[in-house]
Amino acid sequence: MIADRFERRLVDAILYGSVLAILVFFYIPIITLVVFSFTESRFLTYPIESYSTKWYFELIADKDFLPALGNSALLAVTTCILATALGTAGAIAWIRLQFRFKRVFQIISFAPLLFPQLLLGVVMLLWFSVLGNWLEFSPSLWTAAIGHIIYITPFALVIVAVQVVGFDDTLEDAARDLGASDIEVLKEVTLPLLWPGIMSAAIFAFLLSWGNFYLTYSLSGTARTLPTYVFSGIAVGSSPIYPALATLTFVPSLLLVGFADFYRRKLAKRKTV
Amino acid sequence: MRVKEVNWSNKGLLSATGPLTIMLLLFFLIPFFMTVVLSFQSTQYYRLQWTWDLDIWKEVFSEYFIWRIMWRTLTMSALCVVLCVVISLPIAYALINRMKSMENNVKILIVFAFLADAVLKTFGWVLVLDKSGVMNGFLAWIGLPEIDILFSPTATMIGMVYNLVPYTIFTIYLSMDRIDRDLVRAAYDAGASRFRTFWEVTLPLSKPGIFAGAILVFVLSLGVFLEPKVMGGGTRPMAAELIRQSFETRVNWPLGAALTLVVIAIGAITLAIAGKIAARTSAANATLAQEDSK
Repeated sequence: MIADRFERRLVDAILYGSVLAILVFFYIPIITLVVFSFTESRFLTYPIESYSTKWYFELIADKDFLPALGNSALLAVTTCILATALGTAGAIAWIRLQFRFKRVFQIISFAPLLFPQLLLGVVMLLWFSVLGNWLEFSPSLWTAAIGHIIYITPFALVIVAVQVVGFDDTLEDAARDLGASDIEVLKEVTLPLLWPGIMSAAIFAFLLSWGNFYLTYSLSGTARTLPTYVFSGIAVGSSPIYPALATLTFVPSLLLVGFADFYRRKLAKRKTV
Repeated sequence: MRVKEVNWSNKGLLSATGPLTIMLLLFFLIPFFMTVVLSFQSTQYYRLQWTWDLDIWKEVFSEYFIWRIMWRTLTMSALCVVLCVVISLPIAYALINRMKSMENNVKILIVFAFLADAVLKTFGWVLVLDKSGVMNGFLAWIGLPEIDILFSPTATMIGMVYNLVPYTIFTIYLSMDRIDRDLVRAAYDAGASRFRTFWEVTLPLSKPGIFAGAILVFVLSLGVFLEPKVMGGGTRPMAAELIRQSFETRVNWPLGAALTLVVIAIGAITLAIAGKIAARTSAANATLAQEDSK
């Protein structure tokens, strides 16, 4: 009996301890960045002597920052829309339809996920250089967008597929019996029911593209997004503007993740009622 | 959910798969085959020569330093996989069995940390591990001697595990979540200890998740570039750095293409072996179950 109680205590200690430890581990660099963004000093050393917000103004004054922010936003929005659309269509084919060469379709639509990102970027860059020679263009933001779409679509596909599995397709029959056309069924029944999955896929796609370094680094040519802007900055030398930038970008992604969860909970509640 | 059998002339099927297939064909499959073609060419004075020979492959297989870097990449990736799985097991288990009310909040915290910009997080680790950084400040505060691990393989490994462990947490969580609780209760009733139950019931049943996570982490860690560069100080490069250098610094595209294919082949071979093992164990389990039922 005592041994059993001891064992239970030990198991609890390991389990709660490991969750606590992983959260500390995950948030060490994130909190460090937030704290260091408010330093007064030029050097990022501990302890911090006095606090100020001047590095935020320095960051905004940096001439490369706003273009990078704009590029990041443009890239993330484009990728988010196209990857989610392609992923949703793909997910419906994956789960609901049976056709010849389905296996081949599944393998090639999933393969980019199993490619190391830098290599995917390099392989695509080779192709874009060849195409660029023929058609006279050079890698820029839109080549990076294609790379992002290829890499992020499988993620979107998996997330939507989970929603498609739980889909009640008799509702479509009901709509058809009532005289709805195929397009109307898609617009009024299928998509609204898949909406939670599509929504979280879109948020995921946006954030994956927003934070993507490897593909942008290989494919964007001279155009810079926030991750490559930071990388080229810290390769030269660290400056407190990067923690300030980190803090600024954490805020919108925290809001998005929170919003996704709020939305999901609201839907779950509506289902139980 | 019914699965509808359709023909390739079906409009719905074409619009569901067409755009994605064309996209993947144009920007994924063609580039991949081009890489293969490119690895049979050579360069002279930084210019590509269409020679169609095996010179580059001979170079790849005879250069000692290439294989040293490949071996380092492989061992680092293997260690990273083991660490990620070992760390994720208790966390996935705790999320499912202990965190009734907190589960969602913990999950959101993990997802947010996972989706935050990787370059910035890696830079955050540099600030933590720096000689005059947060960690040594903390160690001095509690009266311990300082440690200097930034720009070492240890720091690279911390960065790799940090960026990749969410993948194993998610996959193992998903597969553990599907385990029937009654099986665990039955093991307790039969007198098994908690550790034994975990070892003999939970662990074997979460194998698919462990496998999927391990493969994903392995493949992704074959291509890491950021962590060895920023946290490892670039002194012990891994395969991705080597490939980037052959493209950018040495402008030797055929060599870069060949090295890319080597890394992809290593990943694919591991994947195939893992698939074989997974198939064999599940087949063995099936025959075992059959004999039991006799």
